[in-house]
Amino acid sequence: MHEWSLALSLVQTLDRWALERGVQIRRVVLSVPSPAQLDVSILTEAFDALKRESRLEGARLDVKVRSPRYRCRACGYEFGQEEVDAQIGRLMGQYGEEYPLHLIPELLPTFVKCPRCGSHDIEAELSIKVDEVETA
Amino acid sequence: MRPLLEIARERLRRRRVVAVMSGKGGVGKSVVAALAALARPGSALVDLDLEGMSAPRLFGLSGRLHEVGKEGIEPLEAGGVKVFSLGGIVGDRYVVLPGYGQAGAVEALLAFAKLGDSDPVVVDMPPGMGEELLALGRVADFLPVLVATPSRASYGVVKHLAEYLAEMGKRPAAVVLNMAYVDCGGSRIYPFGRGEDARRLAESVGAPVHEAPIDPSLEDYVGKIHEYRGPVADVVRRMVEGL
Repeated sequence: MHEWSLALSLVQTLDRWALERGVQIRRVVLSVPSPAQLDVSILTEAFDALKRESRLEGARLDVKVRSPRYRCRACGYEFGQEEVDAQIGRLMGQYGEEYPLHLIPELLPTFVKCPRCGSHDIEAELSIKVDEVETA
Repeated sequence: MRPLLEIARERLRRRRVVAVMSGKGGVGKSVVAALAALARPGSALVDLDLEGMSAPRLFGLSGRLHEVGKEGIEPLEAGGVKVFSLGGIVGDRYVVLPGYGQAGAVEALLAFAKLGDSDPVVVDMPPGMGEELLALGRVADFLPVLVATPSRASYGVVKHLAEYLAEMGKRPAAVVLNMAYVDCGGSRIYPFGRGEDARRLAESVGAPVHEAPIDPSLEDYVGKIHEYRGPVADVVRRMVEGL
């Protein structure tokens, strides 16, 4: 369900952005971190429903799901998503639909530990970003 | 572009944002913030004390999770106040976050909180002058309410916060001198002194001082702060009326 609130935020933000510049938006590239576990099909469905009668009416949403690289600031170990997948899986099982990283992926260090030293002091790029906007 | 930062700014643009802050921990910021929200019908309370999460505890909402609908985070409600807290996202567990995580949490909470018609938005700030303070400054033009106690230990920290705010072009709207006195049969006893330093600080920035007593009965209202009608609530209500 959070995909709808994210799509709504995206449409409202970009509609205002386009209005200020007097342009129409043709394409939006949204980059989301994989631990957010966002459903891309629901996100695009929500975007297509919400963009009507806005400056995004003819726009296509492309969602890039990126796997973050992680670095432990305590021991310096660098690791990929595959090394935290098991922890993410357990977290999803524990919270079910209320999985907190779905809403705020930046909360990941609260729940995930460095696979080598066990520290929560983990660095990664976890924000939801607009990478590209094509206008006409 | 970071859409959540943009939408958080837009959602707060036309509302009064009252940030209850201190720099110092343990001075009663969360109680003042809760009572400030309760003093004005139609308020929302956003708990940005990400690691402390006192607001759900004060209102008896601990362990309850926010529902997330198509339009964002549904509030937890108590005493007519819409409460938003990270505690409603993670449940009853600890939160430990580096700065970028705190920034993301602040921006997401403010972007997705379904504030409806709420005005003002009272923000309960954490102790310290860290990422939450910077993040709130990125998102909203807030009205600071400083909370201190008469202790000199409290004053030093609050002074630094006031200096920082002044550099940012912000003037505290009020100073709450909390736990200032005990009412003993109609006479006031000031066990920690009169807080002259804090009073001078308030005077120097042109902010009114609101002296709040130590009220032991407040402890009985942890979990039902919305039912508290004691003297601290009276002081905070007068403070809010003067904003």
